[in-house]
Amino acid sequence: MRDFLIRHQTPALLVAGLVIAAALGVLTGNETAQVTLTEMFIRLVVVIGLWVFIGNSGIISFGHIGFMGIGAYAAAWATAEPSFKQIMLSGLPVFLQENQYPFVFAILGATLLPALVALLLGAALMRLAGTAASIATFAVLMIVNSVYANWDSVTAGSSSIIGIPTVVGPWVAVGFAAGAVITAYLFQISRLGLMLRASRDDEVAARASAVEVKRMRLVAFVLSAAIAGAGGGLYAQFLGILTVDPFYLGLTFITLAMLVVGGMSSLSGAVAGVFAVTIIVELLRLAERGVPFGSVTVGLPLGSQEIGLGVLMALILIFRPNGLSNGRELVWPRRAPTDEAAARKAPSAALAGEAAPSP
Amino acid sequence: MGALLTVDDVHVRYGDLVALREVSLSVAQGEVVCIIGPNGAGKSTLLAAVAGGVTPWRGAIRFGDVDVVGIRPEVVARQGLSLVPEGRHIFGTLTVDENLRIGGFIHKGRADAKADYERLLELFPRLRERLNFPAGRLSGGEQQMLAVARAVMTRPRLLLVDEPSLGLAPRIVDQIYEILLDLRRREGLTLVINEQSSNRILKHADRIYVLRGGRIQLEGRAADLADGEAIRSAYFGFGSPATLEGVAP
Repeated sequence: MRDFLIRHQTPALLVAGLVIAAALGVLTGNETAQVTLTEMFIRLVVVIGLWVFIGNSGIISFGHIGFMGIGAYAAAWATAEPSFKQIMLSGLPVFLQENQYPFVFAILGATLLPALVALLLGAALMRLAGTAASIATFAVLMIVNSVYANWDSVTAGSSSIIGIPTVVGPWVAVGFAAGAVITAYLFQISRLGLMLRASRDDEVAARASAVEVKRMRLVAFVLSAAIAGAGGGLYAQFLGILTVDPFYLGLTFITLAMLVVGGMSSLSGAVAGVFAVTIIVELLRLAERGVPFGSVTVGLPLGSQEIGLGVLMALILIFRPNGLSNGRELVWPRRAPTDEAAARKAPSAALAGEAAPSP
Repeated sequence: MGALLTVDDVHVRYGDLVALREVSLSVAQGEVVCIIGPNGAGKSTLLAAVAGGVTPWRGAIRFGDVDVVGIRPEVVARQGLSLVPEGRHIFGTLTVDENLRIGGFIHKGRADAKADYERLLELFPRLRERLNFPAGRLSGGEQQMLAVARAVMTRPRLLLVDEPSLGLAPRIVDQIYEILLDLRRREGLTLVINEQSSNRILKHADRIYVLRGGRIQLEGRAADLADGEAIRSAYFGFGSPATLEGVAP
């Protein structure tokens, strides 16, 4: 058991951190804190989803918020009031119109539908490489947004879906966040994840080692869309009311910012980024609202939140280009100085027999 | 002995640039063949064509009984043909251990992948010392050893090595050659090695091809070419009076 925990200490520490954060939030009894925490955990699920693809394949995706939206609508279709669905969403299949499914089924749908869409789109997209692939994922986001904004009989178009039971609180959200962390970790250390990370480092060598790069990318794309979709499903059942608007550029960039700030090549980085960005945004939001000094309120001008986040990202990219995690995984402090420290201590030994070290 | 690899009248073009023309060669089972030639002679292109990295415009390439022209690199690798690309392509953020294991993934669920792994570490004791190191932090020589070791983990019948000496100190290069030849002695591995310089090659190779300007200029047994004169003239396109007559305008 001890060995098991030491070997898998990264997800264990991350999950422990999440649970402690949730417990602290609930203990304060503060309604706002709990709402903020819940939203943060939901975003964490989405960012972990993003990371499964981006972190392991090295290809930036702008499309995953589209998958989150697909997941959110799938959950809404399953759980909204039948009376509402029959009037407003007449294009839905009858079994969805007439029934109200429980939470578990809603999340299942929110996971499977985006995964299916990702499989179909990814089969074509994963043939592209580098920037072309990234821009194509951006096209996915635009297409999903247009379809969902205009398909009135199924999505209620530009008006909203209401009557979704709000069953997601901090504990449910943290449970899914932990599940996402564990899933992502298992994928990272799996044979598949390893091959995908190899192709991220060097595609030529990966193919020479018989790694089917495109297939690995497609698997990661589908899995990551499923996780992002689950995040969307949670979001729908957290808000209770759903429109298309949130699932577009704003959320795309804030989730990518979280990944960049934390460091996209490590799972711990993805988690750290979500925490860091949420805390900064909340502090700036507080500052915008202002602090009362007697009769006057002193606060930052509106828009400081976005500017502050932009400045933060720029600073991190300048001073820590690999993000807060610096590309490393979280390990228990006592275990940390093993290989890394040995490497630092004896770099001369590593190069001793060598006149020309690597370029 | 039948040829393991046959390259027949291969032409490779990059757009308007013809990188290889009328290249034919054959490699028998268990042989060590070296291809030498100056920068830009087409050596890397030739290996890439064999390994599926580039598709020849004309010509045939047979590996064993299989025509490998137009087959993707990952599929060719599965046939038992492994390329160590030029410039130490290792997986920099993965550990040495992970780099090696990826080489072994090619044989799904094979029980003796573990035995291969142990056997390799005996050949590469320096890698064993650094198993949990990120490969990107190894020295140049260690990275080259890792690239070779990873290729050997795929249990190839034919190993192609593109300029193993590039940018490395002579002593390290000697070590790498010792390991390669050791592999050949122990397991009958067939080797094709690209090099720019012939000195080391003459000692180790069975046969030599000299490539210049995309054409094979000279082919022969290493023993017959030992004085280096014929190689020099083929390599530079001039040198001894005998060949000067042939190529002078």
